[in-house]
Amino acid sequence: MAAGRVDLRVDLAGLSLANPVLAASGTFGYGTEYADLVEVSKLGGIVTKGITLAPREGNPPPRICETPAGMLNAIGLQNPGVDAFVRDKMPALRELGVPVIVNIAGETVADYVALAAQLSECDGIAALELNLSCPNVKQGGMHFGIDCELTQTVVAAVREVTELLLITKLSPNVTDIAEIGQAAGDGGSDILSLINTLLGMTIDIQQRRPVLANVTGGLSGPAIQPVALRMVWELAQAVDLPIIGMGGITSAVDALQFIMAGATAIAVGTANFVAPGVTGCIIKDIETFCEEQGIARIADLVGAAHAEV
Amino acid sequence: MYARTTRLTHREQVGPDCHLLEFDCPEIAGSARPGQFVHVRLTGGFDPLLRRPFSVMNINPAQGSFQVLVRTVGRGTMLLAQSEPGSEFHIIGPLGNGFALPGPPGEVVLVAGGVGVAPLIFLAAALHQPDNYRYVRALFGAAIGGDLCSWLELSLVCDEFTAVTEDGSAGEQGMVTDFLPAQLDRGAGCVYACGPTAMLAEVAEQCRRGSVPCFVSLEQWMGCGVGVCLGCVIPTRAAGAEHYQRVCKDGPIFDAAVIDWEAMRRGCGPG
Repeated sequence: MAAGRVDLRVDLAGLSLANPVLAASGTFGYGTEYADLVEVSKLGGIVTKGITLAPREGNPPPRICETPAGMLNAIGLQNPGVDAFVRDKMPALRELGVPVIVNIAGETVADYVALAAQLSECDGIAALELNLSCPNVKQGGMHFGIDCELTQTVVAAVREVTELLLITKLSPNVTDIAEIGQAAGDGGSDILSLINTLLGMTIDIQQRRPVLANVTGGLSGPAIQPVALRMVWELAQAVDLPIIGMGGITSAVDALQFIMAGATAIAVGTANFVAPGVTGCIIKDIETFCEEQGIARIADLVGAAHAEV
Repeated sequence: MYARTTRLTHREQVGPDCHLLEFDCPEIAGSARPGQFVHVRLTGGFDPLLRRPFSVMNINPAQGSFQVLVRTVGRGTMLLAQSEPGSEFHIIGPLGNGFALPGPPGEVVLVAGGVGVAPLIFLAAALHQPDNYRYVRALFGAAIGGDLCSWLELSLVCDEFTAVTEDGSAGEQGMVTDFLPAQLDRGAGCVYACGPTAMLAEVAEQCRRGSVPCFVSLEQWMGCGVGVCLGCVIPTRAAGAEHYQRVCKDGPIFDAAVIDWEAMRRGCGPG
């Protein structure tokens, strides 16, 4: 098969992506920060850093530290607030030429509803990602995403006020990811994304205290890839909604595993910090893999590993 | 900003746990300004995961090379310190704001602590260029004499140089900040400092009391290095969304007057 003949397009509940590789929320800013280092227009899409109604200053430092094959973060949703986002960030995002997914977070159901209503009036947004899984804020965040009833309630409330595609971002810090995903679907979510970070911590034994000022943080990076993959696998068996898989992806091998586990698209997060060009490499290597395997459409590989089990 | 695969051309142990590394990269050597840093990927893989930031210590544009000082503090810096010349590293840089030159008029006092000397060597060299010329007096402190890494490089680009060690094994005995009041009494247009957080807080306090402008180079655990991840913030006196500022993008050089030193002292910096 000649180069460039693989159809990398995927469809997420009607949202067409040129390829299945997204930049994950919180790891790609507002789309312009990496413009010098990354061909942003070649991405399948980008997901913006979580936005809240009011500006948030975030958690005290230290906010991050390295762990084996991973990192912990407790940023605490530092962001300029939705008004500044729409005014200052959206104009450049519209010019990127790729689908823009806006991640939103709230402390209450009313926060999510207000954010969704306001952003529904804003041009250039392909979908909203409901962050029900941030482990680093005291109110809201993961509090919603670890409870089926609350998940369904917040998704349903947002569904009432927006026509935008809704993605629900799930927390891995639950016993049964499938029932949370089903609850999001019952609430009206069009797409599910997972996983957010795993709750973790580390201690400085010289100082005899936690390294992070927030004590706990979210673990990301290659260390979590097998856990994330297992959760995508389980969710894909339980729901029919399209899935965006993420968690520790650093290569096309990782990405293809998520696709074969049932993810229609994948997102690259922490790896962007280390290798800003990694998304481009993943897209190219997925294409090469498909050529070598005689796969005409990447979409044909979605969930492929389930057939053999 | 450049992202380049570079070659380690020279490695030299300059202290008990400190190495000077020289990399070949004409783009960075030709564009870095004092106070800026480079973000070094440690391996071709992802473990250790994060890049490591290092202040540029000096540049040689004609040769297309630049140098950094690396103190071994963990697995990542150990990998660098053990790397053989000829090894390749992917480096992003120059990053960060750098010192504003030539800065306030008057004589300059530099206060360096340990490996914090690196950006001040680059600064002192720039302050001896005709366009930015300032009379430069340097204080360089360390725990022991062996930790006065690259003191010769600093002394060569300063007009006056005082070494201070806590154990008195080299230079004057005491804390480097014990010797700052006399420098300020002589009159100073500006103080530039880089070193451990406790040292910087004391320098900032003395400068505040003496009404001398003070600029500090800060460090923090860093993720992306380009302002995206919001991981490397430090606390400032500003309220609201400006309260936490990014070392990688808003810094690493800060006006000491904007920093919340009380919060820094409570343990907000790795130094």
